[in-house]
Amino acid sequence: MTFGLGRSRYSLGVLSAVILPATVLLAAVFLHHVILDAQTPSSTQITVYSPQTTYSVPLLDIKGQSYVGLVEVLEPLGSVDARPDGKKYKLHFTAAGGNPVEAQFTDGKDKAKVRGENYKLSANFVLQNGRGYVPLATATNLLAKLLSVQTEFHPAGRRLFVGTGVERFTLELRQGNPSRLLIGFPSAVNPTIATEPGRVRFTFRREPVVAAGADNVTYNDPLITGASFSEHDGIAELDITGTAPLMANFADNGQTIIVTGAPGPPPPVAEQPPAPATQSAPNATAPTPQARQPAAPRFLVLIDPAHGGNDIGAAISPSLPEKDVVMALARRVLRELASRGIAAGLLRTSDATISLDQRAVSANAARPALYVTLHAANTGRGVHVFTALLPAANVSPQSFLPWDTAQAAFLDLSGTVAGSVAAELDARKLPNATLLAPLRPMNNIAAPAIAVEIAPPSDKVDDIASASYQDQVAQSIAAGIAAVRAKLPEVRP
Amino acid sequence: MTRRIAVIFAVLLVIALGLSIYAWYLKRKVARDEQLAAQQQSAAPAANGPPTPVTLFVASDSDATLRKSQMNVALPEEQSERARAVLRALFGAYLQSPSPHPIGAGADVRDVYLLGDDTAVVDTNSAFADKHPSGVLAEELTVASIIATLNANDGKIARVKILVNGQERETLAGHADLQRFYLASNIGQVVKDLQ
Repeated sequence: MTFGLGRSRYSLGVLSAVILPATVLLAAVFLHHVILDAQTPSSTQITVYSPQTTYSVPLLDIKGQSYVGLVEVLEPLGSVDARPDGKKYKLHFTAAGGNPVEAQFTDGKDKAKVRGENYKLSANFVLQNGRGYVPLATATNLLAKLLSVQTEFHPAGRRLFVGTGVERFTLELRQGNPSRLLIGFPSAVNPTIATEPGRVRFTFRREPVVAAGADNVTYNDPLITGASFSEHDGIAELDITGTAPLMANFADNGQTIIVTGAPGPPPPVAEQPPAPATQSAPNATAPTPQARQPAAPRFLVLIDPAHGGNDIGAAISPSLPEKDVVMALARRVLRELASRGIAAGLLRTSDATISLDQRAVSANAARPALYVTLHAANTGRGVHVFTALLPAANVSPQSFLPWDTAQAAFLDLSGTVAGSVAAELDARKLPNATLLAPLRPMNNIAAPAIAVEIAPPSDKVDDIASASYQDQVAQSIAAGIAAVRAKLPEVRP
Repeated sequence: MTRRIAVIFAVLLVIALGLSIYAWYLKRKVARDEQLAAQQQSAAPAANGPPTPVTLFVASDSDATLRKSQMNVALPEEQSERARAVLRALFGAYLQSPSPHPIGAGADVRDVYLLGDDTAVVDTNSAFADKHPSGVLAEELTVASIIATLNANDGKIARVKILVNGQERETLAGHADLQRFYLASNIGQVVKDLQ
């Protein structure tokens, strides 16, 4: 049997042998691309630097454009109340110490209203699973309008600076034997340092640093030959290259880093007289080089918003996973602690999947004075404060601690903190109970540790995410910690 | 020519779509059948024996308590089968509607192994963990009620380990530790706090 196809005539055999499988294959590839790729978020993220905190926000790839979640970006900067209403998405935002701002977006439309004025997005607003996403290209300008502060975005480095000037570092080469490169920062920095022969690399994950001059500088020096600054994936890196092994020392209370030759093999002797440096910082004051002293003990509270990423935790409601509720609460606790002068950090700052063992390892490595893990559930009412369910052990915290029962050495102090937080919850008339719980990774934490699980305050489960309820819980936690701070030993980092 | 190719492509696309949907349906069916088979495999015949009063520690979500209650259960002679029958009675209390402490539909105790004089290993089915409500308190109530109930009916059981489908699992539903052996004496304090 044959049939016509223009001027040519093909047999059905050819059609079934070649075209059919090819079409099925094409269709499968097409379906895979359309169905999977359109829904799978990309793993990229941006880092946001603000005066209050530095945090990461994941980017969502929608139809080839990068989008960012409005709540994810705004939550660390103030109080957010965002609710979808049909195709509309209404946002109420109050920056810390600022006035309330309202904005309204519409799914599939690029027109919005911000502060009562019309606002045009660079692409359509997207509402997915009750969350609102705006195009990254507009986010910088939109944030400036919502927060009434200056913003600056470095697209290549995926770094967004909100309401804080970027911190420009200067380079000053002091030639001698050996030569020294002084890197000056406006405020103290704490980069990760990696060295390899002839190179030392500083990685800045939390500091909003950028180069004051050119990104790449070449030195005509027998020891230090160049400096190269780059930004990528939300971090900044500064590479110093040399002709011999290099080492870095901190000076000026962490505001200056001095790079010079590492002791050991002597640096090569220059055959030519040293030439002047090609770049020096104008008006740079000479820092007083000091060897970095061992860090002093400090009081750090580590907040662990449970779950994250693929692990959503409990489904409080179909559109409200536990991981989001506790992230919002964690940021409120962070703010409340900061307002009481207590240093605190988050174990997870983005929607990342972190295993229980990884959480314990990270927490123990941070050497906190107190570990607080936050949970949420839709069963019961009020707040439950837990300490680890472990047999009491008469073990010194300074001794070797078994992984499975590391918390046993800190149970007394953990109980003290739990009792104090419960008292503050009582003071705010929030129903609560203090219990023991077989909760991981609390057993593996080598520091005083508590877990706080919040349940909805009323029959309306969504109220668990209300700003007023979460603020009360956060204030109770922070006040409870502040009340017993003197009883908790500071820890050397 | 272009129209004919478009028609052929559209027909083949519909066929490909149909095949994809059928493959998805088959995958779901196989998964459902496997689950059903596992449940049927784990379903044991009802315990034989005279009705005997047993003590259950029944959890209640509404007020976050564990309350002691008595119930008549047909108990077999063999010790591990007796322990299993008691736990199945406890699960029965949770699976009824309305439930004071809902657990996943189809949750069951596959076996209870008694090791030495003082240790019980409770092997539950997948539905018990996969469908258990997630939460620190919700999971703790379940674990504590299992251990307290076992200890109340056999005072020799001092250590309890919970398995899921014969395997060790990290947590029950994201919170309660299932990798450890629980001490009944330790759980006693939890029970006291939850009275």
